[in-house]
Amino acid sequence: MERAPVRAPLIKHLALKVGLLLTLTAVLAVGLLVYVLYARGAFEPTQTVILLADDAEGVSTGMPVTFSGFPIGRVKRLELQDDGHVRIHVAIPEKDARWLRTSSQFVLERGLVGGAKIRAYSAILNDPPLPDGAERTLLSGDATQDVSQILARVKAILANVEAMTAAQSPINETLQNARTITGRMAGEYGVLEGVLGGPDKARRVVDALDRANALLASLQGVSLKVDQTLTRADARLFGAGGVMDQTERAMSQVNAILTDVRASLLKADAILKEAQGAAANVNSITADVKGATTDLALLRAEVDDSITKVNHLINEINRKWPFKRDVELKLP
Amino acid sequence: MTWLEDAAARARVLEAQPQAALVSAELPLRANLSVLENIAIVPQFRLNLSYDQAADAAWALLARLGLTDCAFKRDPSLDCVERFGAKLLRAVIGRPPIILIDRPALLLPDIHYPPHLESVLQRLADLIEQCRILDYVWNAPLYAPR
Amino acid sequence: MQALIQFLTRVGEAALGWLAAWGRILTFGAHALIEAATPSAYNSAMRSVVMKQIYFTAWQILPGFLVFAALLSYVIIQIVVATARDFGLSEFALEMSIRVLVLELLPLLTALFVALRSGAAINTEVALMHINNELAALQASGVDPMRFEFTPRVIGGAVSVYSLTLLSCVLASVLAYVAVYGLQPWALGEFRHVIAKIFTPVALIALTLKSLAFGLAVTVIPMRAGLEAPRMLFFAPIAVLRGMVRLFFVLMLIEVASLSLVYL
Repeated sequence: MERAPVRAPLIKHLALKVGLLLTLTAVLAVGLLVYVLYARGAFEPTQTVILLADDAEGVSTGMPVTFSGFPIGRVKRLELQDDGHVRIHVAIPEKDARWLRTSSQFVLERGLVGGAKIRAYSAILNDPPLPDGAERTLLSGDATQDVSQILARVKAILANVEAMTAAQSPINETLQNARTITGRMAGEYGVLEGVLGGPDKARRVVDALDRANALLASLQGVSLKVDQTLTRADARLFGAGGVMDQTERAMSQVNAILTDVRASLLKADAILKEAQGAAANVNSITADVKGATTDLALLRAEVDDSITKVNHLINEINRKWPFKRDVELKLP
Repeated sequence: MTWLEDAAARARVLEAQPQAALVSAELPLRANLSVLENIAIVPQFRLNLSYDQAADAAWALLARLGLTDCAFKRDPSLDCVERFGAKLLRAVIGRPPIILIDRPALLLPDIHYPPHLESVLQRLADLIEQCRILDYVWNAPLYAPR
Repeated sequence: MQALIQFLTRVGEAALGWLAAWGRILTFGAHALIEAATPSAYNSAMRSVVMKQIYFTAWQILPGFLVFAALLSYVIIQIVVATARDFGLSEFALEMSIRVLVLELLPLLTALFVALRSGAAINTEVALMHINNELAALQASGVDPMRFEFTPRVIGGAVSVYSLTLLSCVLASVLAYVAVYGLQPWALGEFRHVIAKIFTPVALIALTLKSLAFGLAVTVIPMRAGLEAPRMLFFAPIAVLRGMVRLFFVLMLIEVASLSLVYL
């Protein structure tokens, strides 16, 4: 039988070209499949960590678990338990398992943008490695949850502020009291009234000061009279040297006492000024008032001391005076 | 020979022979295949031959009719004799029980077709079980008396 | 009243015709698939048609298509990476660009490319074959047109689309790696995790199925549209037009269906 001639085909190397294409396609398809399986860890021995969470929202199968930003495992399975908790099975390739220690912490983070992330933190890498199938609690480090917590706190703070600014709030009462005090300060007896709580008490202090002033005035009188008496004594009784000496000493004592009294009065003035300055500033009032009360107590003590000294001096003069009692020496 | 009175008679005959292989102007060659491929495709399909085997068989048939020159031509570049030969061989290679040559005047318009048909069928006689030519009765004078 | 009845009848007929057309497409596709799954259908003639189909559909356009896919991928990757950087989301850039390109854009573009080129050609060829009665002639001479003309084209088309999709997707993945990390191998570990994240079993299956569905649609619909043409030459353009519109519709439908299946 005659053979049909072999003729140059229309398409050169048709079978070769198609075979090449098909082989390339098959190789790529299988390669891609194998690569994907490899990428998904199908060929790696893994160990399991079970994370217990109250809420697995945002967690999905295949989600990566990262350590220091590097994915070291992925979520294999999620199951809801009877008690409402979620068990998250995480597969960790054995070569990455060394990053997980018994002390490792797992945190579920949900950002405002992007998916949730499970992060593992291992503070102490010398701890024994995490055993296969270990159960750990999944902590929540949730940005969105934080927002709601922050909002809750802000709400509480706002409620407090509201309570403070309400009509019956302690702060308002405090301010009211401050106003009462400053009102009193503006009264007849100024700061003293404000500090001591009423015009009566203030008046008593002022009276005390008046009395101290009167005392000083009479002391001045006394000293004058003492001078006159001494002049007269000089004129009348020369030669009584011991007496003169003592009298001179007494005089110097009186002078010292007077200096003391003057200093005390200056202090009182300063305190009054201070108190007046304080009245302008509500914030510093309490501190200043405290200072002022301390100073006033001091002042009174000093005044008392001065009066005692004067009394003592007069007694001394009376004792030492060699003549009969003179009516000119009167105690205030 | 089957003489037809009119088109209706032709339709009746065709209907009566559903298993017949028809050589007809209404059944063209596959336009994007060469003559050789048009013939070879039949055994390729029916007998599951390889292309080489089928092409060899087709080539042998073409050689019988002296048409190997047009083996790699396609339908539009064929003349009526070549096209008729191809169509006939496409029917013959399937070894049908009966071959109907439908209106040869339409298939071979440019030649005096009765002697051509005679010679062609003669050359393929051993491959054809039964062959009938369907022609209209008014073309009868064209055929040589037997 | 009469007019209303006529109108309703027309609407009903149109709907039925529409449904019947889609039904024929599905039947035809199913028939071709069954044929493709029948080992005895693979004789030498059919294999040669499959090879020619793959050659014309895939091999011929391969260089041009790969250049086009590479350019498009590179531009899109750069845009995604730059935009992601601007928004401070660079960690998602690689994942996003591979997702967009490999899972969605390139399969669809491949299908459209093949549809415009081979789909239109097949549509025209089948319409002309049908109008010229060549199919009936084949049938008459004992050659099953389904087996010789249609099934090989379906197989060839599907293989071509799958092949082109795979090649362009691998190319795009490599380009994405280069665009994000540069030409160095140290980020392969990270790349591996991105790939693992994208190609879940579902995504992989969906991608394969989608690509195959595209490949089937690209050949089945034009062929069926060609067969629908009445046996008159001037209907050939109309058959091609209808086939291409249906094809576009189906390609979009497949894309939307795959998107909704994967993301819902």
